[in-house]
Amino acid sequence: MSAAAPTIARRRRSRRKIARRVAVNVTGALVFLVMIFPVYWMVTTAFKRGSDVLSLEPEWWPHNPTLANFTDAIHRPHFWDAVQNSMIVVVAVVILSVGLALLAALALAKFRFYGRAGFIIVIFAVQMIPLNALIIPLYITLSSVHQVDKLSGVIVTYLTFVLPFCIWTLRGFIGGVPKELEEAAMVDGSTRLGAFFRIMLPLVGPGLVATSIFAFIQAWNEYIMAYVLLQSQEKQTLTIWLAFFTTQRGTDWGPLMAGATLTALPVVVFFVLVHRKIAFGLTQGAVRG
Amino acid sequence: MKLRVVAAAAAVVVLSLVAATAGTARINSPTSAKATKITVWLMGDAQSNWPEAVKAANAAFTAKHPDASVDVQYQTWGDYKTKFEATLSGGSGPDVLEFGNTDVPKYSAAGALTALSKSDFPNSGTWLTALTKAGSYGGKLYGVPYYAGARGVIYRTDQYKAVGVKQAPTSLAEFTAVGQKLMAKYGGKKDPNYSAVYFPGRYWYAAMSFVYDFGGQIAKTSGGKWVGTLNSPRALAGLEAWKNAALSLSRANKTGDEAHPQQALVFAKGHVGSFIGNGWEWPYALDPKVGNPSMSNKINAYPMPSHTKGKYMPTFLGGSNLGVPVTSKNKQLATDWIAAYTSTANETLMATAGGVIPNSTTLARVNASKPTLAPFAEAAKSSWFVPSTPNWANVESANVLQSMLSNILRNPSKTKDLATKASDQITEILNS
Amino acid sequence: MTRPAEPVALTVEPVIRPARRRLRTRVGRGSVPYALLVPATAVIVAVLGYPMYKIVALSFQQYGLFELIRHQGKWIGLDNYRTVLQDSTFWQVLLRTFVFTIANVALTMVLGTLVALLLAALGKFMRLLLTTALVLVWAMPPVVSVNIWNWMVDYEFGVLNWTLTKLHLGNFIHHDWFVNPLQGFAVITAIVVWGAIPFVAITLYAGLTQLPSDIVEAARIDGAGALRIFRDMTLPILKPIFVILTSLSVIWDFQVFTQIWIIRNYRPESDYYLISIYSFVTSFNQSQYGLGSAIALIMVVIMLGFTFFYIRQMVRLGETD
Repeated sequence: MSAAAPTIARRRRSRRKIARRVAVNVTGALVFLVMIFPVYWMVTTAFKRGSDVLSLEPEWWPHNPTLANFTDAIHRPHFWDAVQNSMIVVVAVVILSVGLALLAALALAKFRFYGRAGFIIVIFAVQMIPLNALIIPLYITLSSVHQVDKLSGVIVTYLTFVLPFCIWTLRGFIGGVPKELEEAAMVDGSTRLGAFFRIMLPLVGPGLVATSIFAFIQAWNEYIMAYVLLQSQEKQTLTIWLAFFTTQRGTDWGPLMAGATLTALPVVVFFVLVHRKIAFGLTQGAVRG
Repeated sequence: MKLRVVAAAAAVVVLSLVAATAGTARINSPTSAKATKITVWLMGDAQSNWPEAVKAANAAFTAKHPDASVDVQYQTWGDYKTKFEATLSGGSGPDVLEFGNTDVPKYSAAGALTALSKSDFPNSGTWLTALTKAGSYGGKLYGVPYYAGARGVIYRTDQYKAVGVKQAPTSLAEFTAVGQKLMAKYGGKKDPNYSAVYFPGRYWYAAMSFVYDFGGQIAKTSGGKWVGTLNSPRALAGLEAWKNAALSLSRANKTGDEAHPQQALVFAKGHVGSFIGNGWEWPYALDPKVGNPSMSNKINAYPMPSHTKGKYMPTFLGGSNLGVPVTSKNKQLATDWIAAYTSTANETLMATAGGVIPNSTTLARVNASKPTLAPFAEAAKSSWFVPSTPNWANVESANVLQSMLSNILRNPSKTKDLATKASDQITEILNS
Repeated sequence: MTRPAEPVALTVEPVIRPARRRLRTRVGRGSVPYALLVPATAVIVAVLGYPMYKIVALSFQQYGLFELIRHQGKWIGLDNYRTVLQDSTFWQVLLRTFVFTIANVALTMVLGTLVALLLAALGKFMRLLLTTALVLVWAMPPVVSVNIWNWMVDYEFGVLNWTLTKLHLGNFIHHDWFVNPLQGFAVITAIVVWGAIPFVAITLYAGLTQLPSDIVEAARIDGAGALRIFRDMTLPILKPIFVILTSLSVIWDFQVFTQIWIIRNYRPESDYYLISIYSFVTSFNQSQYGLGSAIALIMVVIMLGFTFFYIRQMVRLGETD
């Protein structure tokens, strides 16, 4: 008698588990479809012939696919220059912003010091300045130190755009690490800094990843500051390159979508490289009780 | 382990900064051999439509000035003014700059451009008046006419034949009658998407032509001030004529414009009998990449007829001018480059390769001899232009005309009120 | 079959307690915190210091194209501010922006959180699939994504009109979604929220991974319901990130510009003006930089007020550590 009950309970639990599993996966698939649809439209348009782009009946799958748009896009002037420039800018921005933000976030999370509240408010307020008001004053500032038409000028500008968020987020992640782990590491005899690197850095990993994706995308897709600051054709970034698909006659949709698809690829590559770090966390069975 | 990570990170940072600055050094070195470099800002259209003209200009320029070099930087229509104004405030601006012709008065009036003398440029005696007017301010020339565009009616020859129309309409009444026949034969229940005349609501360039045709205007000066005149009886007559044509002959979006989606491409889809388009829209509709090349033997154009029989409806003369900013350090070189670029040979090339109207009436003969360009050159003979005042650009930014037009189409009975409201707005903005 | 409640409580405590125990952190430990802050602060101050000063200075001047060329503005005191605050359109637009911001932030945060929870619950493969989709959405340049949406809702060639009609949900042939501003803003909200969800979901998900899954599993086995787990275990960990994301969303949604600008084909009707478009059209587009700076400062003050609650939270978050 008593032996049957746990079996039935176990079966009921596993059936519920399977039902939940299915429901979760179905929801996941639905959300995937809804979110990806415009992206799907962009990619399929990239493969459509120009005359099929505008159609009264939607063409769910290009019935006449062509690679012409991609070849057109790649052969537009300065494509590879733009790729190189965007790469340089993004790598620099990601590394510098995450590095600087980590240091600042540590200060905010681990220390109490005079001026802390003021720093928080200033960093916060800086993000509120509308970009349109900043364009010309920023240009004047950078021009006075000869940073116009230089990638370094663009890099440093992007840093100011992303640092506040990076500092905030990392501070939040550092704050989410249980005190036990840090103290356990110190019991082991390591210094505070050693404890940080050995224990905390991997645990803040997800935060570093989320922050670096944010910095990557912000830097990758920014347009107006890059356009105003960069003059030479060879120095322009991919987003500026994309803007040239629009002329007086309108926009070349097929090649633009092809160009945009190509532009989205490095972001996805970067993400695939770092995504495993997000799931790192405490599931590794770190020090506990 | 941590040391390796830190070292690697540091190395990447250093490398990327080196690459960033080294990249700029590498790009700079070849041109530093020349003594002077002038910077030219042209729109991306020059790069895609007549790159040989740019090359020819550069060659002629460097032949005349062996110790100078040219850096042509292409700009985008959307944000070039912001970029230009940034350089005005911070330095390192261009020596030559292409403007849309409606934007020149704003910069001339503010003193951002250098006064030029007509005699420095080829064909200046026969420049198109509308372009010259747009490029002048206070009696001085600030923007050299570059090229122009005029609009005409582009239509389906097979559909016109099918409704028994053998000749181009010579009056607005005939035009409308043809439109009704087309709608009866192809439109209505047979094809709810069909438009005899594809006329999006916010297409102000074509809609305002009706106003000017009936003798009205957008605004006029009165006692030193500007007054919006869209509610004058003549302007209202024009607006009514336009409204009736658009409502009965068009199924285009009342709040859409002619570029979204591009009307030539909508025409190419086959559900449009005719549309009012620029010269370049004819070949664009037939473009093998985006249009319908099979229509090439079913397409033609004629100037839009006036409500007065035998005359043409004035067409908006769009176009670009070339100016020399005051911040330029090489004004004479800049002038010489513009002269080289607007040479007779180049302007002819722009007309043939780009389908635009060259800046001089004598050169427009080139267009008159080509069937795909002749109707537009013909239409350009009767043109209208926006009030030439620096504040006009602000009226455009505030979308006064577009809003009025799409509102009229949606509330046809309120035409007079909407026109009055728009006129008041225009008065306010132009006088601010 | 009853089970004692303590095991659940015991496993939950270590996660919440640290917040209070951190009071023992070194207080004002000499120059270390300042040294850590210097690099980031230096960059921000060096780059934005002068522009911030300039914006304030310009807001009190008449600074149009004329003055721009001569690098010399005309001092007009509070006139710019008066012009803005006395403009009835400004107040209409401001109200519209408030409503828009609240709606968008609420939708973004709720949907983003749900997607983050979904990500945490999914298996490895589905999670990678969904996250890649989210990253792709996040990575699309606004120019491209808004134009895709523009097509999807196009009057004549849009897939939305075609699909809705095919599903017999009404006759949507030649339906212009932007004639009625309410419908138009519904479309714009969809675009903004769609574009914002990935960022919120991925960041929250990253935060969620700090919550050990075996502890959650243990709690669930011990009988804790989903809501209790969320409230007692998930929320405390997510709180700092949540506060940051919400305040950032408020700041960003308040300043929405590109989506409206592009979906109305670079010429929005006055019914579609939000504060940033109003600012652009009345000042920057007309090269009135003094007026534009005044509007910008007014916007900053409003945003500071709007997010006051969050700023207080963030400052406090540090204090209770």
